[in-house]
Amino acid sequence: MQKGKKRFSLAITALTALSVALSGCGGGGSAASGGEGTSEKPVELIWYTIGTPQKDVDTVMAEVSKYTTEKIGATVTMKMIDWGDYQQKMQVMVASGEPMDIIFTSSGGFDYVQNARKGAFMELDSLIEEYGQDLKNTIDPAFLEGSKVDGHNYAIPANKELPQQEVWRFNQNLIDEYKMDTSGVRTLDSLEPLLKTIKENAPDVTPFAMDKNYIPYVPYDYVIQNLPMAVKLDTTDYKVVNILETPEMKEALTTMRKYYQAGYIAPEAATTGSTSDLGTSGKWLLDRAQTQPFADNVWSTSNGYPITSTPASDAIITNNSVQGSMMAISANSEYPEKAMQFLNLLNTDATLRNMVDSGIEGTHYKKTADNRMENLPESKNYDMPSYSLGNNMLLNLNPNDPDNKWDEFKTFNESGVDSPILSFNFDPKNVSSELAAVQNVKEQFWSSLMTGTVDPETYLPQAIEKFNQAGLEKVMAEAQTQLDAWKAENGK
Amino acid sequence: MANFLKNLSRNKALLFMVLPGTIWFFFFSYLPLAGTIVAFKEYRFSRDGFWASIFRSEWVGWDNFKFLFSTDDAFTITRNTLLYNLAFILLGLVFSVLLAIILSELVNRKLSKIYQTGMFLPYFLSWVIVGYFVFSFLSMDRGLLNQILGWFGVGPIQWYSEAAYWPYILIIVNLWKSIGYSSVVYLAAILGIDKSLYEAAMIDGANKWQQIRRITIPMLTPIITIMTLLAVGKIFYADFGLFYQVPRDSGTLYAVTNVIDTYVYRGLMTTGEIGMSAAAGLYQSVVGFVLVILSNYVVRRMDKDSALF
Repeated sequence: MQKGKKRFSLAITALTALSVALSGCGGGGSAASGGEGTSEKPVELIWYTIGTPQKDVDTVMAEVSKYTTEKIGATVTMKMIDWGDYQQKMQVMVASGEPMDIIFTSSGGFDYVQNARKGAFMELDSLIEEYGQDLKNTIDPAFLEGSKVDGHNYAIPANKELPQQEVWRFNQNLIDEYKMDTSGVRTLDSLEPLLKTIKENAPDVTPFAMDKNYIPYVPYDYVIQNLPMAVKLDTTDYKVVNILETPEMKEALTTMRKYYQAGYIAPEAATTGSTSDLGTSGKWLLDRAQTQPFADNVWSTSNGYPITSTPASDAIITNNSVQGSMMAISANSEYPEKAMQFLNLLNTDATLRNMVDSGIEGTHYKKTADNRMENLPESKNYDMPSYSLGNNMLLNLNPNDPDNKWDEFKTFNESGVDSPILSFNFDPKNVSSELAAVQNVKEQFWSSLMTGTVDPETYLPQAIEKFNQAGLEKVMAEAQTQLDAWKAENGK
Repeated sequence: MANFLKNLSRNKALLFMVLPGTIWFFFFSYLPLAGTIVAFKEYRFSRDGFWASIFRSEWVGWDNFKFLFSTDDAFTITRNTLLYNLAFILLGLVFSVLLAIILSELVNRKLSKIYQTGMFLPYFLSWVIVGYFVFSFLSMDRGLLNQILGWFGVGPIQWYSEAAYWPYILIIVNLWKSIGYSSVVYLAAILGIDKSLYEAAMIDGANKWQQIRRITIPMLTPIITIMTLLAVGKIFYADFGLFYQVPRDSGTLYAVTNVIDTYVYRGLMTTGEIGMSAAAGLYQSVVGFVLVILSNYVVRRMDKDSALF
């Protein structure tokens, strides 16, 4: 008996020790069924999108639903998932078959190409033909062309800036203070005199601000973002190369190392996740960023001091820039036709688009002119990321936007040059285990090489060898095969 | 059958008490077992929900396991995972038992409670926060440690690029965070030891050291064995937060900080293959299972009463 008692108390202790962690699991409601989708009997569309959940989202969607019930016979329920959680939560919800109709997707949040291939999205070709004619005429055709996966459209891209262009951004206060000239700046090397001046005169300023995702610009387009396979922008033979073996990258890394050793770069750059504290304190001279028309204004407003920029590259239209913000229709959507009608309306109807973006007129914003608006204090309860929700060029202008804002966007879009591999999407199916190994090697060497933290003389050959051990050559050969086939098919 | 029912009604109070735990284990441990099938499939979404997706996905045999063993990283991550966990188990055991004994010997109960709370606190911190604590010590230009080294004329060390220091740093940080918790378990066991044993020992003239060696430690052995067996079962699971957040994901440290969990995370970020994650999880579980059975077998051979089952 004594022994039995002892055992029991031991078991209890063990159980207590075990059951510390608990995890939660959420259930979901199911979509309405049996509706015919008329203004008398609307169907419900469930819309998942990215961004910090807003307090007034349901109120605004009730208003939106009134409008869409009348127009297309559907109501809209929007569910927002915060930036950092979006990728993971959507992965789980889609995998478990949670009811949803419209899903935000992009090259970064809930990866578009990958999930299209896995069957998460519905193929839209015929739906666009049938219900999306207005949309086809409104948005830049390069968007629909560039977001095709294996020849089919799986999502509706938002009409916005089309090419991506790298710029050097300058903290104009410091530029003025030390009377520096930024007009001749374009290459990485041309930054040196500026960096040197600041290092000598203002030791508490970080001359060259960067986080661990920084990669020196080289005129190549990557086959997969952030993996070392790339194709040269002015290529004629469409050869996939290892970016680390190109003379441009070698030279850039040597320069980065020189800058790092000279103290132009923060010592912890290779492990720094964000430079927003430098932005707040204003203790930085320059960094690199992607631009769009009037970006200097936006940056200056958000930082609270003047920021200027000069180009560091040409404006290139790449898969990454085209697939920056899209809405897909879920493969398990009950009402794909309605969802398509809604997306068509969202991208062509200014009333709906502005309601989704800014909320209810008189509550969240007020109109000051025909296409101008001003936020009211209540807008803090409905502050949406504009770029993610559909056609940007229908949006009302804010008080400090110039009149020709969207015209400038159109000019910028026309100035873009197509990347040679625009709309080629690599299918990693045959090499996925190699890719996982390659990814690990990349994580190991990438940041410290790119920020100049380690010497490329010794580390670059090591990295290249490790990549090849992990199977990069096999992945590149596979990419080359697919690219050649794609090239033949598209008559390049 | 009648016997079974009789048993059931006689033990209903106890059975009722284990019910919540049983339900929890059923839903979160037994039910998902069926999902391990994903490890042998190339997972593709189907519009009819999760189960349909599983059944319609293609069988790929052992393909999903390949990436774990495809490079010489396989050796590094297995070695790191095993050796770190061994160090954590052994040092954690020694230090937490030591602390528990010291705490139990403190005469001032109030002070003992304060120490206990202080040691317990780090256990509740998230690894992200601990990562920043460590960073404030080890930052190259503003870190406390480099400043102290500077007073002694030693130049600043780039802690986040020097792999040699990290085995020690990781072990110290992990001990700091975890022993507060485990020492409470041992402390509870010590307080449960019959006081008359100590009284008898004192009458016989045993000193403190002899009391600890001859009474406290032997009385603690069963709980030590159980705690260790449970830890051995998880020896193939590395604490992701510790190995990812604390070294700030610094690439140059991977030789000593890459473990199975971080390897899987980094490898699957680009492809997002559910099948491969499932394969890695299954591999860890199977090895963990074998290790528990083995170590329990060893314990059984030595001391039948201490074995888990």
